[in-house]
Amino acid sequence: MSTKGTKIPDWLAVPFAGITPAPSQEKGQDLFPTGNWRSIRPVYRDKLPPCNNACGTNEKIQGYLDLVKRGKYLDAYALIKEDMPFPSVTGRVCYHPCEQACNRGKYDEAISIRAVERFLGDLGQALKHDVVKPGKPNGKKVAVIGSGPAGHSAAYQLARLGYKVTILEKSPKAGGLNRGGIPDWVLPPYVLDREIQRLEELGIAIETDCEVGKDVTWDDLKKDYDACVLAIGLTEPNSVRAEGEDKKGVLYGLPFLRDIGMGTSKVKVGPRVAVIGGGNTAIDCAREALRQGAVEVTMITVEANPQEMPASPEDLHDMVEEGVDLWHGRAMTAVLGNGKVESLQLHPARFSGAINASPININREATPEQFAVDNVIIAVGQRAALGWLPDEFKTARGTIKIDKFGRVGDTNFFAAGDVVQLGMGQPLMVVNAVGDGKRVAFNLDKVMRGEPLQPRTIPVDVIMDLDRMNMTYFPHFPRVQQAMLNPNSRRKTQEEVIQSFSEEQAVEEAGRCFSCGTCNACDNCYLVCPEPCIARPERSNGLYKILVNYCKGCRVCIEECPTGCLEGVPELDFDTGVVRMDTAFAITPGLHGRQAEELVRLAERPAKNI
Amino acid sequence: MPTVMERKKKVVRMNGCVASAQAAKYADVDVIAAYPIRPYTATMMALAQMVANGELDAEYIVADSEHSQLSIAHGAASCGARVFTGSSGVGVQFAYELYSPISGSRMPVQMMIADRTLDPPGDFGSEHTDALSTRDMGWLMGWACDAQEAFDNHLMAYRIGEDPRVLLPQMVCQDGFFVSHITGDVDLPDPGQVKEFLPPYKHPYPLDPRRPVSHGPQIMPEQGPPLQLERARAMEGSMAVIEQVHEEFAEIFGRRYDPWVEEFMTDDADVVFFLQGAHAVTARFAIQHMRDKGLKVGMARLRTIRPYPTDRVNEILSKFKVVGVIETNMGLGSVSSGGSLYAEVCAALYESQHRPLVLSFMAGMGGEAIVLKEFYWMTEKMLDVQKRGKIEKRTHWVGFEE
Amino acid sequence: MATIEVERQILPILGSPNQGARFYNPELPSSEPFVPGHRTCAGCGPSIQYRMTSKASGDNTILVGPTGCMYVANSSYLCTPYNVPWAHTQIGSAGSFTAGVAAAYEAMIRKGKWKGAYPNIICEAGDGSASDIGLASISGALYRNHDCLIICYDNEQYANTGIQASSRTPYGGMTTFSPPGPLVPEGKKLFPKDLARMMAAGHPHCYVATASVGYPIDLMNKVRKGLNHKGAAYLMVYTPCQKGFVYETPRSIDLGRMVVECGLYPMWEWSPEKREYDYSFRPQNIRPVAEYLKLQGRFGHLHAEHIAKLQQFANQQWRMIGVELPEALIQAADARNQVNMAAAAEAEAVAQTL
Repeated sequence: MSTKGTKIPDWLAVPFAGITPAPSQEKGQDLFPTGNWRSIRPVYRDKLPPCNNACGTNEKIQGYLDLVKRGKYLDAYALIKEDMPFPSVTGRVCYHPCEQACNRGKYDEAISIRAVERFLGDLGQALKHDVVKPGKPNGKKVAVIGSGPAGHSAAYQLARLGYKVTILEKSPKAGGLNRGGIPDWVLPPYVLDREIQRLEELGIAIETDCEVGKDVTWDDLKKDYDACVLAIGLTEPNSVRAEGEDKKGVLYGLPFLRDIGMGTSKVKVGPRVAVIGGGNTAIDCAREALRQGAVEVTMITVEANPQEMPASPEDLHDMVEEGVDLWHGRAMTAVLGNGKVESLQLHPARFSGAINASPININREATPEQFAVDNVIIAVGQRAALGWLPDEFKTARGTIKIDKFGRVGDTNFFAAGDVVQLGMGQPLMVVNAVGDGKRVAFNLDKVMRGEPLQPRTIPVDVIMDLDRMNMTYFPHFPRVQQAMLNPNSRRKTQEEVIQSFSEEQAVEEAGRCFSCGTCNACDNCYLVCPEPCIARPERSNGLYKILVNYCKGCRVCIEECPTGCLEGVPELDFDTGVVRMDTAFAITPGLHGRQAEELVRLAERPAKNI
Repeated sequence: MPTVMERKKKVVRMNGCVASAQAAKYADVDVIAAYPIRPYTATMMALAQMVANGELDAEYIVADSEHSQLSIAHGAASCGARVFTGSSGVGVQFAYELYSPISGSRMPVQMMIADRTLDPPGDFGSEHTDALSTRDMGWLMGWACDAQEAFDNHLMAYRIGEDPRVLLPQMVCQDGFFVSHITGDVDLPDPGQVKEFLPPYKHPYPLDPRRPVSHGPQIMPEQGPPLQLERARAMEGSMAVIEQVHEEFAEIFGRRYDPWVEEFMTDDADVVFFLQGAHAVTARFAIQHMRDKGLKVGMARLRTIRPYPTDRVNEILSKFKVVGVIETNMGLGSVSSGGSLYAEVCAALYESQHRPLVLSFMAGMGGEAIVLKEFYWMTEKMLDVQKRGKIEKRTHWVGFEE
Repeated sequence: MATIEVERQILPILGSPNQGARFYNPELPSSEPFVPGHRTCAGCGPSIQYRMTSKASGDNTILVGPTGCMYVANSSYLCTPYNVPWAHTQIGSAGSFTAGVAAAYEAMIRKGKWKGAYPNIICEAGDGSASDIGLASISGALYRNHDCLIICYDNEQYANTGIQASSRTPYGGMTTFSPPGPLVPEGKKLFPKDLARMMAAGHPHCYVATASVGYPIDLMNKVRKGLNHKGAAYLMVYTPCQKGFVYETPRSIDLGRMVVECGLYPMWEWSPEKREYDYSFRPQNIRPVAEYLKLQGRFGHLHAEHIAKLQQFANQQWRMIGVELPEALIQAADARNQVNMAAAAEAEAVAQTL
């Protein structure tokens, strides 16, 4: 008997006939941590999507688009509400810098983000109770001067932080520029009213017909409130300094729109109207003029062509569709007529330097044109009414002087919105004002609590290069278009021109989002890993774990990640997290003996559930 | 259950092929892998009819080759199914790749082999080389000399091979034509007897989704020796089980076989024939004939060649002066330059104090019967060697020498 | 004889991924029958396929592993990455061992020796096994219609033994048995067997399909269709091998798409019910073969006329599935139109070392 007296040492023990028990699904097979093979480790690093970065209030746009893709509309709405109080408003009025920045625009067509936001905003308005609640009262009172976008946003965030907020609004109705600068056929009044109502539901008090400088003074504010946010906007229209500007029939853009918005307008425009200016306000005025009864409306701009105009190209296009004429390269030098406007005198004009940011050179040598009109609306910008403000807090530009945190001097006064943003190089937009109001509210809160203020961090990695993502996974799909009213009929009504997305359209359009640089749990990396060493412990956004004990650094996951959030980092940068083996065959002695024992006990283990 | 004595015998006349098929039926095999090659095909034909008639519930698979047959058997046994397959001649060799894996993975597959001379060229007659060429592969192996023994060997082989202490595959061999196609009387048992003798097959670690295991992962060389040692232990350990099972068989079925070596008229013999398989039948007749003439000759028939009963062969053959190994197989270039049984007999006898002189007889080759005249001739040779006390020619080609 | 009816499970077919953007699929089971710790090369295409197949199949599965990379590399040093039962078998026994497993379970369930739903039985054979040494065993298993799925992970070579030519190695594919040299500038002169069509044509009662790791959801659905089909099924999966093809490791999935986009590996299904081919799969792009070939070192030795020959082959495949050939591809089938190629004389001047 040859095998008599033989003994297999422990370190060579192997299971019966080499039959090995199955490894666990959770941990993997533990004899060989193959992680020491790699030289590059994949790491999930979310980059900043350009839309989030471009948004004036840094809405988590990629985040809410992803939630809409998954049908989680309420969660998406709640996500917007962290940074933006009135998505149903911005969903209609915003000039969407996010869409300009959208990487999909370089690929086929940018995502129609504004339309999705509108869909969510309207959904939120339909809720009986909003998802946002006021914070636990902290006993402090804050006055917010102005109920426009900046004021609305500041008040909203402060109420959520627990402050007792009172908004003081000089107009008869709250809303600021939302009400008085944006026409009803862009933003129906009932939509704005509902948003104002939401403010009241948060416990915010709104006092209309209350003007700082008249009904309330600087000192009153200092006395009655712990802090104050000045969001008074730019309410005074600029003049073109033309002769005869004081004649009857000469209107100014913002007041023209504001009075109509407040319902206090007594203006009746004649059949021929001219609009001076090339910005968004000018466009709104031109289109409103049509709806107020004008038959022919002509827009007169210094800009040499439509591309130079600071106006939103879409709105410009819609205006032209409605039949407004567009004249370029001219300035109005005089208003002619007997006590009232009968015609305009126009001279050729150019900007002396940067478009819309340099003085206008008017060629007075050239033969002037005469253009007969019944009204002229001058919409060449606004400035602030700061009569009541102590001089030490005024800038040379005519805005409120603030530090980089929005604080006025050493006081508990903060300023936000157009009133501080004019001339800062940013376009004056609702969303920028909202962002400003939000940041100022947080800064105010820090000051109230005695915490140090932090300057805004510069975004480190905004992903804008399509090569960093994998375009294979994004077939070309056209942008879903919102329906619009017929131009010929809509120019005579106050009905909302652009229609909402349906739920299907919103999901379809959100589905086109690349989710640039941000993991959205698409499962690509999870599915293509050869090991597989990417664990997916929960099925929620972006939660994957690389099992570093096993990852061989093949980088297939990085290659197939559609959003580009996976990066390869040289392994030498890591100290911990990997079992280092001495050789490729490093087996701890006795490991197979343990397998042998496990196999013997196999029958005792409960049967696997199949 | 009636005792062996009380039970009414159920004797049916059938050939060895059908006897093997009947054994498979009594064993209630689950999977049958068939592929035609003479002479064993008749076993599979009989089984096909049994399955078609509903007498046996089994998956009957006509494989695409012998290699596939054995692979099917391997796969089925790995899951816990009782498997039956078989072949002859070159067919046995076509499946060669599978023998070591099946044995090493401890799968108790049973293979019925009706011997056939190997090519070239085609020869339907029996030689044992086909099965013997696989003798180192780790299968239990032994020859039956008639249909009853074939039937009994199949049942015992399942019992031994499936024993948890053994778990080895078995080749149950019988001479082509001489056993496979000549009828004999077979006493078929009662199902109750088989049920008592042969418990259901249970592999300790089958392929079962509820208890997942991996069969046969690749190893590194240092893991080879312990696995080989375990295989050797299993083969050696089977010897005790073989003896125990033959004992149990005798008790339940009333037929007793010596597990290792069956002696015939050896009591006062000086010279004996040593062989395995069907030629024992004619040998018995020849020995009786020669005894009547006063020649003291006997026969030792090897019933189990794997595991080789070294000590038993040593013990028994040491009683004699001359041993004549009847080969019935080819071992070209072997120690005896004839067959392969000789070398193993000599090795078994090496340490004996009373080593007999050993001759090798190439007889019964190609499927030819060994006639009476040849038995006399071989006996003369052995007696001559006994007289001289030494061997001048180790190997004799019977029928081709003076 | 009392028999028990064999209960078979039907696996649901996965919905298509959203707008092509991701593989996210809530219907994917979370179990991972194939776990890490195995010793395949980084980026191994067959491993990727194995993972997807076992995921689609689930825990009630038995895997059969004929000798090849998916045996040796997966289990070397007596370890195992399979959380379901798995058995090694000989390289030529792919179909027959699997048939044995299938037959065993039919018998054991029917005779009451094992209780439960009939398991998914999957054989993972390399192309060396399926196309050469194991061809007969697979054909036998398909012909006999055992309820199992036989998958050939096609890396177009014998990879585990160190990259040798198989009957699936493409024309011009360099391997250690088909190296290029002055006498054989293309390296491999023979075009490969069309193994998948052989299986479909020869066993029309079986479900047969081609798949690629470049299209994971499609692959998993075909696995499930094969498993659901009551009877034998055969799946031929393109699985790139970094070691043999010599490409940048992260591109395993990309190659899986490219090979289909170049027409060299059309995706089709054979329906045993309708007895016809479904050629409707269309990749996102159609490319000339050169774009696929240039990614791999194993084709680096090819001259213009060799590439043109491969383009002709690809064009035939496009015609077979009913795609109208773009002009560029017709042009590319002429060697004179292959630009930026070294002339044969220049190539010869480079010393041949292997």
